[in-house]
Amino acid sequence: MIGCYVTGILPRPSKLIETTRAYDRKKVNEEELERALKEAIIEVIEAQVSAGLTYITDGMLKWQDLLRPFTENLKGVKVGALARWFSNNTFYRKPIVLGEFQREKDIALEMTYTEYLPSNLPWKAVLPAPYTFAKLSENNFYKSETELLFKYAEILREEIKTLAERGFKYIQLSEPALVYNPFKEPISKDTLVDIKNTLETAVKGVKARVCLQTFFGDFAQILPDALDFPVDDLGIDLYETSLEKLKEYAFDDKGVALGLVDARNSLVENERELTTVAEELIESIYPSKICEVFICPNCDLEFLPWERAKEKMKIISNVTKRLESGLS
Amino acid sequence: MNKLFPTQEIGSLAKPVWRVKGYRGEILSKEEIAEAVNWGQRLGIENLEELVKILTKGARTPADKKALIQWSAKFAIRFFEVAGLDVVFDGEQWRSEMYEHVIRNVEGFKFLGYVKSFDYRYFNKAACIDAPKYIRPFYVEEFAFTKENTKKIVKVPFTGPYTLVDWTFNEYYEKKASSQIRDFKRRKTAARREFIFDLIKEIARPEIDKLVKAGARWIQIDEPAATANPSEEEMQLFVEAFNETVKGFNCTFSLHNCYSNYEVLAKYASQLRNCSQLALEFANRDSKQTGIGKTRAGYKELKIFEDNGFRGKYGLGVIDVHTDFIEPPELVRDRILHVVNITGDPSRIYVSTDCGLRTRTWEISFAKLKNMVLGAELARKRLT
Repeated sequence: MIGCYVTGILPRPSKLIETTRAYDRKKVNEEELERALKEAIIEVIEAQVSAGLTYITDGMLKWQDLLRPFTENLKGVKVGALARWFSNNTFYRKPIVLGEFQREKDIALEMTYTEYLPSNLPWKAVLPAPYTFAKLSENNFYKSETELLFKYAEILREEIKTLAERGFKYIQLSEPALVYNPFKEPISKDTLVDIKNTLETAVKGVKARVCLQTFFGDFAQILPDALDFPVDDLGIDLYETSLEKLKEYAFDDKGVALGLVDARNSLVENERELTTVAEELIESIYPSKICEVFICPNCDLEFLPWERAKEKMKIISNVTKRLESGLS
Repeated sequence: MNKLFPTQEIGSLAKPVWRVKGYRGEILSKEEIAEAVNWGQRLGIENLEELVKILTKGARTPADKKALIQWSAKFAIRFFEVAGLDVVFDGEQWRSEMYEHVIRNVEGFKFLGYVKSFDYRYFNKAACIDAPKYIRPFYVEEFAFTKENTKKIVKVPFTGPYTLVDWTFNEYYEKKASSQIRDFKRRKTAARREFIFDLIKEIARPEIDKLVKAGARWIQIDEPAATANPSEEEMQLFVEAFNETVKGFNCTFSLHNCYSNYEVLAKYASQLRNCSQLALEFANRDSKQTGIGKTRAGYKELKIFEDNGFRGKYGLGVIDVHTDFIEPPELVRDRILHVVNITGDPSRIYVSTDCGLRTRTWEISFAKLKNMVLGAELARKRLT
């Protein structure tokens, strides 16, 4: 009933960082880079397993940013200039939409090193959610953002289907753009309905658990509408969300992924405090019967150096154990 | 300054190979030493044989390394002078990098390692683990050296406290706030605020005070992170931080911000007190066509600053620092004259590069700066 996992791109371990920097300076070749990448992927998978996480990812170490596999490999999209990744000192390359989307290969799967994932634990994959992909793209082709949204959702369905068939049991759709709202503009009902419909398109008939993971913004602003989204779990960044407001809602049969560990600060959290916060939250949002709960970082751990991210993975796992045994 | 359209560079200049390798204690090739000599001769620098003596050494003492920093600073100052700039500094030759240089010279911080910036680029990120403490001046020595080595107006680039905080993990203050504030979001906000104002009080202002006492008359506050979080609360915090940093000093201050959200910055620019100039990047967004015209694509956002009531000077970026394209003087001229038409006041324009030329070679940088100076001269002629 209570599980735990990471929520996106993991930081590259220092040896891989060295190799990628050397590659950038043309000091090492493609093969050496690939070898270093594989070694690092084995390392980050092992770290997740030994921390005791419930679902395992390959760490997405090859992903230059959340959108990049699609920006580079989806036909109809061109790689654009660097742009700031929300309020972080990190940058992504803007997808420029110039033509009809065409999926010519298994985009996410080809970027994933399934051969190193453990056979005895369930696998998790992460993909950019429709609204975030549409919001962060420059649309020079489709008549409207809504049209782009739905076209991308169709691509996403194929991606999710492929991953599920390959054995992934959990699919996270990363949706920061929906809640990142620095100018506090009201999110229209129409947008929320569009999102619900695109998610329906994307996950219909999918045989995997699906989570819409929001981060970098206040989840409470999309409540109660988000409770109707056709996904199993809703991911919440607890460092950006008003906890009091969140507690006003009942989640009933909707699962939650609680972003309880801060991936944007290196401070190592107090496990007891996190457990108490989680317990209070769970009590409030599940007044009668507890649904599925996952403990996770508030966003991708890539904002931390690898060693610190590893410590935070242990915290996630320890808090999960405390919650399971009712310890706080 | 009485002269119309004074010229300046904005940030750092590339470090010559002989400076980097020499400082690391590596053996230099004949070509690398020859490059130092060639540039030295081109810039009219005296006693080059002393530099060569250090560069040809197998092992270099700490005194040699310090001398190399001074040599490269002297080269950079002369580089700007010979290019014809009116405002000079040392191209930040003393500093490893704008963030690390400060953090390594104060107490309370610990570098945790590299985190991703984009693609295969990373930056070394520190955590604030204790109350920041001033231990030694970090810009004063380089400023004194520059002042001694030029007769031109000297500017001191100064990494702004808001950016330092934005680029640092805030461990100390969040931990401190954890016993008082339960809500994570509110805790983070309060801790960030305390961190910024402590850093201003304990580090930034003491350093500015020392610079002013050493004779600094113009400090350029560099805040690349100014609009990283464009919310009303954060922008107000940024404004407050800038005003608090510069408050009460007998010195001119300017603000440099680049590759940011200018629509947001424009709304707050007029609230910056004691900020005589905004050095902004425009050239990289502009077309390469000459012409003064009604619109120039790259400069349309300058109008937002005007419309929002900013009445200070502009450090007007007319040189793109990210391409090897050498802007012709006529293009520089037209960019200036176009903006004169927007502001209606030519005295508000300082002709500048978009940002520091650090990523360009000295050869390209020199050609770009010379044309910038020529372009400013053409614009002056047009107006007189």
